[in-house]
Parts: sequence; C-alpha cells; structure tokens
Amino acid sequence: MMKGGWFRVYTLGYLIFLYAPIVLLPIFAFNDAAVIAFPLAGFTTKWFTQLFDEPALRGALANSLIIAVSASVLSTTLGIFASRATTRYKFPFKGGIMGMIMLPLVLPEIILAVALLVVLLGIGVPLSLFTVILGHVLVCTPFSIAILSAAFQALDGSLEEAAYDLGETPISTFRLIILPLVMPGIISSLLITFTISLDEFIMAFFLAGTEATLPVYIFSQFRFPQAVPVIMALGTLLVLSSILLLSIAEYFRRRGIAKTGGKDTGGFL
Amino acid sequence: MTKSAGASRFRGSEAANGLAMISPTATFALLLLAAPLATIFIYSFMTDGYLEIIRDFTFANYVEAWTKELYRVIMLRSLGVSLAVTAATVLLAFPVAYFVSFHVDASRKSLWLFLITIPFWTSYLIRVFLWKVILGYNGVVNSGLLGIGLIDEPLTFILYNVNSVVITLAHAYAPFAILPIFVALEKIDRSFLEAGRDLGESPFMTFLRVTLPLAMPGVISAVLIVFIPTVGDYVTPQLVGGPEGQMVANLIQLQYLKLDNYPMGSALAVTAMGIVTAFSLLFLFLNRRYLKGAK
Amino acid sequence: MTFSAEKSNMIEFKDVHKYYGDYHALRGITATIKAGEFFSLLGPSGCGKTTLLRTIAGFEGISSGAVMIDGKNMEGVPANKRPTNMVFQSYAIFPHLTVAENVGFGLRKDPRSAAEKAKAVTEALEMVGLKGFGNRAAHALSGGQRQRVALARALILKPKVLLLDEPLSALDKKMREQMQVELIKLQRQVGITFILVTHDQEEALVMSDRIAVMFEGEIAQLADPETLYRRPNSRKVADFIGTMNFLPAKILSEADGKVEIDAQGFGPITLNAEQVSGAASSTGASVGFRPETLTILFDGQTAPDRESMAVVEEVVYYGDMTYYDIKLDGSDQPIRLSMRNVFGRPVLDIGTRTRVAWAPGALVVFR
Repeated sequence: MMKGGWFRVYTLGYLIFLYAPIVLLPIFAFNDAAVIAFPLAGFTTKWFTQLFDEPALRGALANSLIIAVSASVLSTTLGIFASRATTRYKFPFKGGIMGMIMLPLVLPEIILAVALLVVLLGIGVPLSLFTVILGHVLVCTPFSIAILSAAFQALDGSLEEAAYDLGETPISTFRLIILPLVMPGIISSLLITFTISLDEFIMAFFLAGTEATLPVYIFSQFRFPQAVPVIMALGTLLVLSSILLLSIAEYFRRRGIAKTGGKDTGGFL
Repeated sequence: MTKSAGASRFRGSEAANGLAMISPTATFALLLLAAPLATIFIYSFMTDGYLEIIRDFTFANYVEAWTKELYRVIMLRSLGVSLAVTAATVLLAFPVAYFVSFHVDASRKSLWLFLITIPFWTSYLIRVFLWKVILGYNGVVNSGLLGIGLIDEPLTFILYNVNSVVITLAHAYAPFAILPIFVALEKIDRSFLEAGRDLGESPFMTFLRVTLPLAMPGVISAVLIVFIPTVGDYVTPQLVGGPEGQMVANLIQLQYLKLDNYPMGSALAVTAMGIVTAFSLLFLFLNRRYLKGAK
Repeated sequence: MTFSAEKSNMIEFKDVHKYYGDYHALRGITATIKAGEFFSLLGPSGCGKTTLLRTIAGFEGISSGAVMIDGKNMEGVPANKRPTNMVFQSYAIFPHLTVAENVGFGLRKDPRSAAEKAKAVTEALEMVGLKGFGNRAAHALSGGQRQRVALARALILKPKVLLLDEPLSALDKKMREQMQVELIKLQRQVGITFILVTHDQEEALVMSDRIAVMFEGEIAQLADPETLYRRPNSRKVADFIGTMNFLPAKILSEADGKVEIDAQGFGPITLNAEQVSGAASSTGASVGFRPETLTILFDGQTAPDRESMAVVEEVVYYGDMTYYDIKLDGSDQPIRLSMRNVFGRPVLDIGTRTRVAWAPGALVVFR
C-alpha cells in the first residue's frame, strides 16, 4: 500500500491546490478590512449586511436567475431531443450533426460570443436578457446532452419494446416508461445547466447590452477595490449554493443510475 | 402498397424519425453556432468602415494579423501560455487520475471525483480573482514566505504576468484533464497489468509498456480539452495577466467592443481558431497510433 | 405429424425475406406453426431466429413475403396491435414499477374495474409461482423471479401467441432446467402457442413439440425432436444437434427403396432409402451415427445385430457415463462411443481391443 500512499499524499496536495482559492473566500468575507490582503484584521459580518443593501446587485441577481432558469429549461429540452435521437436512432450525418451541437464544449467561449454578437446585431436583434439566454442555451446544451445521453443510454431498449408489446403507443410509452426512467437525468441536467448559466460570464458580457448579470456585476466591481470584500461575501454564498445544487444533482444522477440498474461510472463529464 | 415499398418505408422512417428528433437541437445549433461562425469567417475578409462594414473581399486583415508586431506577440504568447498550461495540467493531473482509478475503492471513486469537480463549479470569476489574492504583493504566498523568513521582500514575478496566467488557468482546467484520463484508466482491464507483471516486467515498466499506452486516448482528449479553450480564455489574462499577460481573447474583445472593428476582430478570431486547429490536428497525427484501437 | 392434423394454423410465414441494407437476414422463410404448439426456433447466433421471432411481434418489418397470425396478414399492424406478447431476453422488467404494476402494465386500457384487474394480476402471479410478490420492487428480484414476472405480464393479456426470446439464457444451469419444466407445464395449462428462440439444442429438444433449425437466414430442417435427432437431413443439422460421428462412405446402388453402401469400418451394408438424406456434396458421402448407438461388448455378451472389432484410443470418464474414442478395424478415423456406467461394468483402458455392437438401422447416410 506504500505506492498508493504516495499517490494519496500527492492527490491530497493537489486537492489543496484546487481548494486554495475557495478556502480563502470565507476568510476574506468575514475579514474586517477593506483591503483583500494579509494579515487579517478581525471578524465582521458587515460585508454580508452591505451585500443585501445593494440594489444593483439585486437587479443583477434577478437577471441571472431569469436567464439561468430559462437557459436550463431550454437547453435541457434541446438536450432531451438530441440525446434521444443519438441513443435511439441511426440517421445520416449523425456524427457531423452531433459534432456541431457539441462544439461549444471545446470552442473558446469568446469566439462563440463574438460570432453571436455579430449575427444578432447584424439582423437587428437588440441585446437583452433574451440574447444572453440564447448564448447560454448554446453553451449549456452540450453539457445537458452529456448528462442525458448517459441516462438514455442506460435504458434497456427492450423496455420500450415491452411497452409496445403490451399495447402502448410510442407516445404513451415515452410518458409511462422512458420519461420516469430518465427523470433523474433530466433533473440533474436542469441543475447543472442552471449552475453553468448562473456562473457564465463571457456570453453575458458580450450579449447583455445594458442589463448586467451577476458575473458581469461581479466583474465590474473588481475595478473598485473598496467593493471587493462585499464580492467575497457574495462569492461565499454562491459557492455554498453551487455545492448544494451540485450535491442535489449528483444525488439524482446516482439515483437514476441505480433505478435503471446500471453501474456508477463517475462524474458529470 | 407492395411489401418491399413497405420495408423501405420502414427503413426510411428510422432515419426520418432520428432526423426529426434531432432537428430542434440541430436547427438551434445551425442558426446560433454554425451560421455565426460562418459569418465571422466572411467578416474577416471585409474592411471596417466608420459606420458600416465595407463588403469588399480583402486579405488585409489577415496580413495585419500576421505582420503587426503587437498581434504576433500576443498570438505567440497565447499559444505559449496555452501549451504551458496544457503540459502542466495534464502532467499534474495524471497521478491524480491514476490514484483515483487504481488506489481508491470502487465505492468511493465517485466521492473523490465529486471532490475534484466541486471547485470547477464555483464562480469562475471569483476563483480567478482569488488567485490575485494568493499571488499578490500582500498575498498568501508572499505573506507565508516572508513569515517563515524564506524571502526578505515580496516576490513580484508571480502576479500580473504570464506566470500568474499559467497558474490560474492550470487551476481552472484541472478537472477537464483529470476526468478523461480517469475514464481511460478505468477502462483498462486490470488483468493486462497482471499479465505485464507475469511476463516479467517491473511495476514501473508495466506502467510504461501497458498502462500508459492504454491510457493515451484519455491523455489525448485531456490535452485537446485543455488546449483548445485556454487559448481563447479572456477572464484570466484580464484579471491576473497585467499588461504583459494579455492574450488573444483580450485582443478580440478590444477589437469588437472598444474599437468596433468587427472585420479585424473576426480575422484575429479566425486566425486563433486556425492555429488551434492546426496544432490539435498535428497533435492527433503524432499520436495516431494510440487512437487506432479506439472507436 | 398426425397430431397437428386437427389443429388450425396459428402462424404462417410465406416466403419471408428480410434485408438490412445489403445483408440478407431472412432468406425465404416458409413455415407453419400450429395453434397450441410449443414451437422452437433453434440455431447459432446470427442465424436469423431472433429476427424471425421479432417479425411476428412486429418489431421488425419484412422486405417481402407475408407473416400471418391466425389467418390475418400482419402487414402494417404495429406491435401494440398484434395478438402476441413477448418475454424478452433481458426480461425488460420496468425497473421503476412494482411487480404488480409490471404484471398489470398491459391492462391500462382494459375496461374492467380496478378490483377485477387487481384480481387478474394476483391470479397471474399465482400462476407463475409468485404469490404475494406483488408489492416488491422490480429491481430487487432474482433472475428467475424476473423471468416469472415477465411471463405473468405477457400471459395476463391472454395472447394468441407467446413469444420467448432466449428466456432462459440468463439463468444458471439448475434454474434453467427447473424453468424448462415449468414452462412446459405452463404451456399445457394455458394451451396457447409458445414460440421459443434458443441456441441451446438440448433446451429445444426437451421443450418443443416441433423445432425449426435455422442456419444463415434459412430453415434447414423443421421436424419434431425425435426426427431431428434420429434423422437429421444434413450434416450441418446433425452436427448442431448433439454429437454425431461421421465416417466416409460410398453409395454403391439405389433401387426399390433400398440403398447399398460401403462405409469405412462397417463394410458393405444395405439400408432403407429414408436413411439417406442431403443433397449431393463434392466431399463425397458419409455415414453418421450417434455415440450411444454403438455398444462395447464385454465377455459373454453377444451383439443383437452386427458386431465389429475396435481399439480404444482415448477414455474420458464422466461419472455416470464414460466416453471412448475408438477406431473400428478398417477405419483410420476415431469415433466417439458412450457407455452408461451401470454397476459392475468396467471402464476399459487405452489400447484395449474390444468388440463393438452396432445396428444398420441407427445409421444415417449423407450424400
């Protein structure tokens, strides 16, 4: 076990590297100093209090929530279509079509963002929350497909045939068999895409026009050093809510795998 | 209707059903991804006027992108940063993936993966900003090193330059490297390793001759999945890069949002994508023998 | 096949062809399955047996020909409208439903009251030996229990035909043998047509009234188990069903329902014409016989029919049986012979010379 031991030490070190920034977040959120630097200057909750008195922040949060809810619902819907198609049917140009749909997963976001910006302005669509939603759906759909394909893949094709055989139509089969069995995947997809959208900056930065989303607001606040402690407080809350959402998503993903009798093969990606 | 017509209709309907099912998502991607990408490709051959784009075909933007000193420096820097980040991320990630795949109980693997992925899902902006806190003049690293007396005055070469950009990006893309390698390692039949030992190889040579070649498809996807997006990262160079850490995304943003020069911005974007694609294809070509067995 | 004379035709395949692109999966299947019959489609994997079964269920379209169920052409009739139900290889038990919900799944549109449906479910579960299992979660069942749920779920709809796609292949040997007997009993009890797809020749022989042996998209032989075993119509069928020895032979003459052959190790023999089968092959004729049709003669025993000398080349002891590889005098090819190890019977050593009894009636000649 000596070999595993060294790898364990290394991995724990790596985890410290991964978590280092996040651990600092609450430290500075409760640090009683306007400058984000060591040494620490004592405990305070005033940054959190200030946080709730910030009207621009509330507006940005509302925008972000509207966008995240819309984007997660839309991208999951598109994800359901694509995952169902790719796991159930053979059709011409399948590889090419799926490649195109999954492309945003690897393409630098800035290129997607400027391309969308150029086209939207070109055809005269004013920048608004709606344009951000479009951008976010584009970014979120591949993640949704990655999650949902696994859920659809885990479905035994003969379950569907069994339902037809027992007298159900394709539509009632979808409702009675397929939907309940992939539901955990759908919930997991909704939560993940919601989280991605909530955190997405580039698309919102380029496509939001005058409306700020939460990340755009945060980014703008970085220019004012005195605003940063409040952002640390906000970040602490965001991290907590992300972890909560992800834990729920992970719970549903695992339940989905257990339900369809599959084996757990790991994380989201 | 004849029987054979019925049969071909059945076969046709499988493809037709599939296409119908994929069509909403495909249409969306076509309109909001393929068409815009095609548009910036076309824009890159036009000229910027004061209020509108001049629709004449020209290579001028590309000539400028490739010859202007500033652009060339930033393009090369982006590429260099991206290669450094990729190398660092993949090399550092491999032992982690190896540990989770080979030394963690099957029942606890998801927990480890969950732990590894959590930081990735927390606000990217804030994470990047916190690296500024860690690497800054009064930051964690400097306070720590001063505290234990290793240095007499704060280090300045770790923030607002290429180093800080590399460190921050290596942090941000860690899970992207770990997960594909982990998946590839998981697929390796453990009896191959026993066979390697049985045939007289040391554990280390077994790793080199059996494990590593079999894990290569995962390493290759890790390299691509880190390399391609990091070239175009905007936030990290903007927040921790300083003037000497600026990358191509900052340049593109400048052209589009500040200078309103869409054709030039498009030419830079297309050039960046072209370079990334060329490097990726070269990399795939060099590693083609590892991918033959894969699907 | 006199027993089927009074029974009506349940399934008729009329020159059924099926192509997957260029691949010719079914090559002109013509066959009739009687009502109330336990019928098996037997063949190696890829022979088209599952495809043929699925054309009955309606999961596969056909390229040409016709599939008739109870006199009606099934062209264009979808799976959910056919009077057939299927037990899937994977059982396809809906994992999110309880056992009772699974069994009652097909009754959703049944006009009967909820109480009557519940009663039907209870009865169906009782029939397959799962009384009291109704509230169990489906994913908590063992393989054998899943199989029973799948049976109950299909039979509750009182189909005209029950289709079974390799239903026993996922079970262990003991469980499989037990389920074979239960399936036979169940089929007698409900009296409907069962069509079983299997690659296990023993299973087909044990369970079926009639068997269609399929190779490469064609039915090679359709017969009852005994005919199939005793009079396979080709070397291929003979090889697939059980073990058969082959020795080279020459056909000397054919006349008046008699065939004279000269077989290696056996010498010249006269056989009945029905013992000869198969189309002429380029490799020459051969004579085939099962291992149990040869018997080693011990001291004092006499052959009821014919007798030859042989030498023991290999001995494999199985406990209840001993298998010998022997060479008949005048033959250069080893043949297999099986002897039951009844009490007091010795096991011969390698190299022993022994007398062997055989009977011309047990021989089959393949052209």
